[in-house]
Amino acid sequence: MRLHTASEVISFAKELENESASFYQNLSPRYAKDKDVFLSFAKENERNVVQIERTYYGVITDAIEGCFAFDMNPDKYAFNTGLAEKATYSDALEKAIEMEEIIVKFYSDAAEQAKSLLADVPRAFTMIVSKRNNRGPKLRSLLKEEV
Amino acid sequence: MAILEEPIRQVKTLKNFIGGEWVQSKGKIVDVVNPATCQTIAKVPVSTKGEINAAVEAAQEIFPDWRRTTPVARARCLFRLKELLEEHFEELSRIQTQEHGKTIDESRGETRRGIENVEVACGIPTLMMGYNSEDIASGIDEYVVRQPLGVFGIIGPFNFPFMIPLWSAPYAVATGNCVIIKPSSEVPLSQTRLAELADEAGFPPGVWNVVHGGRTVVNGMLDHPGIQGITFVGSTPTAKLIYRGCGETGKRVIAQGGAKNFMAIMPDCNVERTIPALMTSFFGNTGQRCLSGANLLIVGEDDKFYNTFMDAVTAASKGVIIGYGLDESVQIGPVRDKEKKEKIIGYIESGIQQGAKLRLDGRKNIKIVGDYPGTCFLGPTIFENVAPDMKIGSEEIFGPVMSVMRAKNLDEAINMCNDNPFGNGHSIFTSSGKAAREFQYQVTSGNVGINIGIVAPMAFFPFSGTKDSFFGILHTQGQEAVRFFTESKVVIQRWF
Repeated sequence: MRLHTASEVISFAKELENESASFYQNLSPRYAKDKDVFLSFAKENERNVVQIERTYYGVITDAIEGCFAFDMNPDKYAFNTGLAEKATYSDALEKAIEMEEIIVKFYSDAAEQAKSLLADVPRAFTMIVSKRNNRGPKLRSLLKEEV
Repeated sequence: MAILEEPIRQVKTLKNFIGGEWVQSKGKIVDVVNPATCQTIAKVPVSTKGEINAAVEAAQEIFPDWRRTTPVARARCLFRLKELLEEHFEELSRIQTQEHGKTIDESRGETRRGIENVEVACGIPTLMMGYNSEDIASGIDEYVVRQPLGVFGIIGPFNFPFMIPLWSAPYAVATGNCVIIKPSSEVPLSQTRLAELADEAGFPPGVWNVVHGGRTVVNGMLDHPGIQGITFVGSTPTAKLIYRGCGETGKRVIAQGGAKNFMAIMPDCNVERTIPALMTSFFGNTGQRCLSGANLLIVGEDDKFYNTFMDAVTAASKGVIIGYGLDESVQIGPVRDKEKKEKIIGYIESGIQQGAKLRLDGRKNIKIVGDYPGTCFLGPTIFENVAPDMKIGSEEIFGPVMSVMRAKNLDEAINMCNDNPFGNGHSIFTSSGKAAREFQYQVTSGNVGINIGIVAPMAFFPFSGTKDSFFGILHTQGQEAVRFFTESKVVIQRWF
């Protein structure tokens, strides 16, 4: 099932944000030394949801191509947030890095396809890309420390 | 994708909202049916003449108080209404999908457009200002004030149940008038909810009224001397009747009728961006809007471009996802009811009989997402070789039907647009500024689009229209609505 409508894409983005927030929330007690980083990511995810919803509900109008703006394959952006019991901290960080890359790819693709919507929608997606792009170096530095 | 939760879960008999009270009607009761599920979701009364008269009386009674309420205080009621509409945004949108069938994206778009009119009307302390000229003669000044007139009737159509009454109502009440809204009895739920929220926002009893019904209510509005004016959106034949009726009874009138919009495609258009715009234009809201594309006009004699373009249009149309609008994956919902579907099918049959080439038949092989009866669903239909004098090329179909024509050049394209009796929302798709300028300059259309499939003016612009698409002078929305709902009073003063 591909994503075509703005409503679907917004719901999918919310799912990604919520799922990745849960992942970070689960990491924080398990790897307590960096819990502030993980909780700040989870908090930022909540703000991303607010930003996406506010933008969508603020600009959606019958005069634009809300139902015909996208053609995205959600399977391309699937990730597994499950961590085995014996997973090391490095495993968890590698999973986080991979997840962030997938989510950034989703927002970048969605921003590109949303060009026919009012400008605010791709802009909101691009702003999230830029926020999430800051996470990669942070996670990599934690991984480097760990290794 | 899961189906979003339905806000309407119990079948209730709707009441009229008169003088701040919810009053049971004495008229007969008819079902409101969700066109996707074919389930009855409410019952609505066909109100009597006595009931519309009672609403006029209630509105007349409060009018002197309301007009003396300061514009700032009236605006505060609108600010509260705006907040309540935002708070109930999703509920209102889903109600529209349930009662009308449109997709959730379309309903949310409609809700947003409606709210934008409330927002614009919140500026009434400024919008309503008059003007003055000092010393028109020595020691004599002249000025204009804008005053409300009294009670206005607002008659809504079925295709935009929430938004269209809001093209008028916020401006009417902001300027100090009282309104009686008659929603379409096919889709009365969102206006009922809106009236509840208007009540909660603190409009005094009688300022905002809703009377459900049909012809009796409309005739009651036309006949009643206490109604100062009517705004109407609907079909052209009814718009003409309303216009004439208002003329005979000395009422102000805005009567918006039907359309037959041309989408002119120049060979230099951006095809990739144009196709989604055309899908929205022709098939969005299942073609049930007065700004829908109806005739796709390919300009130029380049057969290669024509074939490539039509292949792309057809492929996109075939891929459209049809189903219940509360499923987020759905791109077009059902037609509002079975009778409307049959009417559209009648047009498709006439197209075949008159010799047009049926390239895509929306009557056949429709794949509906989910387990819903096919009663009201129709897929996109494309006709080629359509002549302007065929029924499908000249009359308003109000369904997901694309009639494809060709024009040798831009001049011929403009002439074809202008020969059509309607003039609502013609568009051109091109990357040439010269062609776009020529099109917008020459074409007789109230709203003109340049690389836009649905030329829906924002709330701070008038919703224009011309020829058989509009009857009246001033339009709904923005400054023109403020002028419509007020009388200019000129004062010339001299003090001895």
